[in-house]
Amino acid sequence: MDRFDALIIGGGLLGCATAFHLASIGASVLLVEQGELNSGASGQNAGSLHFQMERRFLENGDALADQAAAIVALNRSAIEEWRTLEALLGCDLHVSMRGGLMVAETPEELLLLERKAALEARYGLDARIVDGAEARALCPSLSTTVIAASYLPEEGHADPRAVTPAFARAAAARGAILRPRTSLVGVEREAKGFTVELDSAEGREKIRAGSLLLAAGACTGNLAALVNVHLPVYPVALLMSATERTGREIAQLIQHVGHRLSMKRAHAGNILIGGGWPSRLASAAGGGFDLSRRATVIADSLVQNLRLAVRTVPLVRELNLIRSWTGVTAITADQLPLAGAVPQVPGLFVAAGGSAFTLGPTLARLLAGAMGGRPDDRLAFLSPARFNHLNSFMG
Amino acid sequence: MAECAPYDVLIVGGGPAGQAAALRLHGAGLKIGVVDEQPRPGGQILRQPPATFVAADWMEERSYRPLKRQLGRFEAAPDVEWLGGSSVLGIEPGSAPGVHGLTVATPEGATGIRTRRLLVATGCYDMPLPLAGWTLPGLFTTGGLQAFVKSQGFVPGQRIVLVGTHPLQLLVARQVLQAGGRVERVVFVQPRSALLRPFLRRAGGGLVGGNALLAAARAWRDLGAAGTKVAFGLKPVRVAGEQHVSGLVLARSDGTEEHLECDAVGLCFGFLPQSDLPRMAGLAMERQGRLRAFSARHDEWMESDVAGIFVAGETTGVAGADAACVKGALAGLGMLHSLGRISEPSARKEAAPLRRRLARLLAFADLLDRVADPSGCYPEVDDQTILCRCEDVTYGSVRAALGTCGSANAVKLLTRCGMGPCQGRNCEFSLLRLMHGPSRCEDAGFTVRFPVRPVPIGDLTG
Ligand SMILES: Cc1cc2nc3c(=O)[nH]c(=O)nc-3n(C[C@H](O)[C@H](O)[C@H](O)COP(=O)(O)OP(=O)(O)OC[C@H]3O[C@@H](n4cnc5c(N)ncnc54)[C@H](O)[C@@H]3O)c2cc1C
Ligand SMILES: Cc1cc2nc3c(=O)[nH]c(=O)nc-3n(C[C@H](O)[C@H](O)[C@H](O)COP(=O)(O)OP(=O)(O)OC[C@H]3O[C@@H](n4cnc5c(N)ncnc54)[C@H](O)[C@@H]3O)c2cc1C
Repeated sequence: MDRFDALIIGGGLLGCATAFHLASIGASVLLVEQGELNSGASGQNAGSLHFQMERRFLENGDALADQAAAIVALNRSAIEEWRTLEALLGCDLHVSMRGGLMVAETPEELLLLERKAALEARYGLDARIVDGAEARALCPSLSTTVIAASYLPEEGHADPRAVTPAFARAAAARGAILRPRTSLVGVEREAKGFTVELDSAEGREKIRAGSLLLAAGACTGNLAALVNVHLPVYPVALLMSATERTGREIAQLIQHVGHRLSMKRAHAGNILIGGGWPSRLASAAGGGFDLSRRATVIADSLVQNLRLAVRTVPLVRELNLIRSWTGVTAITADQLPLAGAVPQVPGLFVAAGGSAFTLGPTLARLLAGAMGGRPDDRLAFLSPARFNHLNSFMG
Repeated sequence: MAECAPYDVLIVGGGPAGQAAALRLHGAGLKIGVVDEQPRPGGQILRQPPATFVAADWMEERSYRPLKRQLGRFEAAPDVEWLGGSSVLGIEPGSAPGVHGLTVATPEGATGIRTRRLLVATGCYDMPLPLAGWTLPGLFTTGGLQAFVKSQGFVPGQRIVLVGTHPLQLLVARQVLQAGGRVERVVFVQPRSALLRPFLRRAGGGLVGGNALLAAARAWRDLGAAGTKVAFGLKPVRVAGEQHVSGLVLARSDGTEEHLECDAVGLCFGFLPQSDLPRMAGLAMERQGRLRAFSARHDEWMESDVAGIFVAGETTGVAGADAACVKGALAGLGMLHSLGRISEPSARKEAAPLRRRLARLLAFADLLDRVADPSGCYPEVDDQTILCRCEDVTYGSVRAALGTCGSANAVKLLTRCGMGPCQGRNCEFSLLRLMHGPSRCEDAGFTVRFPVRPVPIGDLTG
């Protein structure tokens, strides 16, 4: 039976980037992906590199906002990570860090921006609040209804089609084995590590691994059942839309503090519109969600999302919509990523949830350190230990 | 987006199939609508000139007469609402209990339409065929060429060459001649015997589809009289030209090349069912014919696996206009029955002769499918040739991607093949052929996304 230092479940950004970092420090790594590499959220997302606090953290009261603000420290590390990522991986990821504007259209929204800025300042991030005129000077395509924006020069976007494959190639080049079309179907715990059962077109097979990382995105909560623990990770289906290509310039990442909206002109010239509008997950016959079936577009979500886009950047009104798609990602009980060792099961690690395109490369690097025996304080607040109460009777 | 009261039956496609269904349903007191992106009914085969454009006798071919009669009755049916110039962008099955929702781009903007029964009869389209130089202006699918002639009486070239495996190119060549154009040559890639022998073998046994054959034979004769040569056994190698088509290079069976000068090339290698709406709606699909193209699965009443959504015409397999009419009539009957407007025994009784006729028509369609089968006739394509013309993706980059990708969707994500405005209509078939060869490919193809046609965002937001 083959034995690996680490077995990683999930070929998304978190899985592939962790495989890369583990392989780089000399670990033997096997990564299995049930479908194709990058076929989950990592290949379907908006590609925003947002380092300001997300508006979703502001919309559920002060207590949660305060708790979530800790993410800002990690966002700052992520800025450095993205600055050097293309050099590290030796390829073009269409990383564009030409600034981000989170806009406000009403006095109430401006107050929200100010509250956000105060929280961010506590963690050393200084997004500057600019007035409408300055915002339009930075991004002339912005609507005249914008009265203010918080501006962070480092924000931007990168190409989700490119990032995970680049990590996968680099991981393979360092000796990691990546197996698409292979899924995890069973786990046995042993004194030191795990024996796991894998399923692929070649049949079932058992291998042994010293440590096991669940990085299975929206499926992570379900997979946790294989090791008899609860991981509060839930699937969410989101909506994205792309316009035809346009020559009109939008240099920045545009977000809205009062509404769900993110927009950018991606490197090929299409404007991508998203911001967290829901799609409909398929439900399973016996209850719960069926993650094997595609989520479907909710027509009303689409219209609302497009209206906001037109309101904020009026030029998109004239552009053709060429495609709307749904993507399924993971959210945790407190919206923060779950990253680190699972206390109830020695050798088991998890990485799921959060805005893990922006944070993925950073989380993966820190997590690989932890799996290699060098835990990092910066991950402490993301530890699964914060949900120990769910596992009092598990393990 | 404005909404109006639900239809009892909404038909997408005003071609022979959609018309036949509507004609079977009308007079039963139902609210019936027919949506078509063309301004006027007719479908591909009877594509009408715009009403403002006077074209006397825009198609005089005898074999079209029954279809024209059906069109006349369709246009005269008072209880069939014609929603022309409107594209269906998406279907939401079961948007409410017993009701299906559609998003439709009308000339006045996008609107939501609800219907209790839905018929998708969206026809087929020309199989796009990549070869070196195929993105040059002056290169058409034969159907595209024909659309020019039929709807505008206009010939987009002075010296035209048609090449392919499908006998329809004979008819199109003759239409070009009649519209005042010049056809240099009609080239069949297969040998003459492969085209003729199967027909001759069948001719003894009383042939359905005889009309179509006669039409083709007459066209061939007329071409000869006009000095257009019909050649066999030549494979297209590349389309020549700098800014525009200036020639077509063909390979003889001995490997030598022949250079034909021309300013327009029409490719005619067969037709693919329009499968975007059925796939988006999540209907069960199957692979049809020798092209193994996606077509919607249905029961004996043309109802798909999603209750209340019916399919008919070439969306369910390319079989010609007569078969499309019969399938349309069966679907009309099926919907009437499922709406409780006709008893099961009466419906069965009425369906029996239709089904017998359909079986004969499908046998002929199978023969045509065999004769026109392009396997073995595809041009060789090198790594520089464009596969996806929306996103300028070459065969080379797709071949490289296939080293790691195991599905069409994965190739799309990695290379952008199929990510453009056509959503893969122009490249999906070629990609699947490259991946597996058409006969073995079970890949589900690209995920079809809303909207199936590009739509101005302002039309959706109002
Ligand atoms: C529409 C959308 C827009 C988004 N926009 C942004 C954004 O702009 N910025 C941002 O930072 N984040 C964004 N996100 C979130 C971000 O995409 C995700 O947080 C991130 O990609 C998660 O990466 P992952 O590797 O954890 O998960 P995934 O990429 O989902 O990978 C998990 C993989 O595990 C595989 N898997 C599951 N079960 C098994 C099993 N049993 N065996 C083997 N493999 C298995 C799955 O097939 C999947 O490929 C967005 C998400 C969506 C859906
Ligand atoms: C380009 C072309 C030319 C052809 N020429 C001939 C010929 O000359 N002789 C011959 O025998 N056969 C011809 N055929 C084959 C012919 O199409 C069929 O035999 C017959 O017309 C099929 O009838 P149908 O009703 O299934 O589809 P069609 O006649 O194709 O009708 C389908 C209708 O659906 C509409 N439609 C499609 N998608 C949408 C949408 N999303 N929203 C709204 N409307 C939509 C189309 O505009 C079209 O009018 C041709 C096929 C093609 C593709």
